[in-house]
Amino acid sequence: MCTDATLVSGIAAGDKKALGLLVQRHKKLAYRLALGLVGNKDDAFDISQEAFLRVYRSAATYDQTQPFLPWFYTIISNLCKTWLRKRSRYEHRAVDLDDVSFLLVDTRTPDTALETRELIDRLRRALMELPFKDREIITLQHFRDLSYDEIAVLLGIPRGTVMSRLYYARKKLLNLMRLHDD
Amino acid sequence: MTNDMHEWLAGYVDGELPEEQRRQFEEELKRNPKLREELATFQKLQEVTGMVRYADLPDEVWESYWANIYRRLERGIGWIVFSAGAIILLLFGLYHAMSSLYAAADIPLWVKIGITGVLAGSIILLVSYGRERLFAYNRDRYKEVKR
Repeated sequence: MCTDATLVSGIAAGDKKALGLLVQRHKKLAYRLALGLVGNKDDAFDISQEAFLRVYRSAATYDQTQPFLPWFYTIISNLCKTWLRKRSRYEHRAVDLDDVSFLLVDTRTPDTALETRELIDRLRRALMELPFKDREIITLQHFRDLSYDEIAVLLGIPRGTVMSRLYYARKKLLNLMRLHDD
Repeated sequence: MTNDMHEWLAGYVDGELPEEQRRQFEEELKRNPKLREELATFQKLQEVTGMVRYADLPDEVWESYWANIYRRLERGIGWIVFSAGAIILLLFGLYHAMSSLYAAADIPLWVKIGITGVLAGSIILLVSYGRERLFAYNRDRYKEVKR
């Protein structure tokens, strides 16, 4: 099987088939990463597609000695930041709090009492109000189930920084959830 | 309690602390009720996040995913070529129109300035309107819905 780096070098040579393979391999990951950052299904879908178009356009600048996913994640993260900036400029709010479909109650959880649903709703709202960097680390750890080592590689930061960023992000998240409790 | 202990709390909850740090943290936990309290809130948070999952998309959306990208890719190239050609033709046409206008001795200067103003204003308005429409279209979540 071709590695991601081989596919990107194919893309740099104009091979659209290589792009197709890369899309097939990472489309769900791209969508979920974007979803965690922008909190809206439709926009996450568009951003994930745009990310692959950016890969196609910038394939020649990719350093093949480096892993592909951190590079790809930077593209997605930058697109999400631009999207959030535009959105706050034109719609005067940073995120779509009305999009109830962002996080769903897991059907495997038997406890779907009103209290639980309210708690999850508070979590969703609090998540969307977190600063970008905090939301990023929380979604990677809690909803992508990545290990600290994987997050460190993806974000290009030391493992210890992952731990401290997670600590402070969770503190902020808990504070925001309490705020919505009032 | 040191700052490290606070930060280790995250690693402890996630099972990511190395053995030695975990042991030190558990020692501190026995002595420190505030840390125990904080640990409980972090565990509760983990419980809540464990109850939710990402909203996924239907299979048919994933099936057309690559086709959409390919279409956007082709259209992007098409638009670049089209725009470049259109700009060249527009500039060429404008240059000739303005040259003829300003060369015509029988047209008063104020009429020439007026025509130039109308043309320049129209171009600015057209670009601004086009940009606004493009933004509105990109932001319209219901563009696929037939009214």
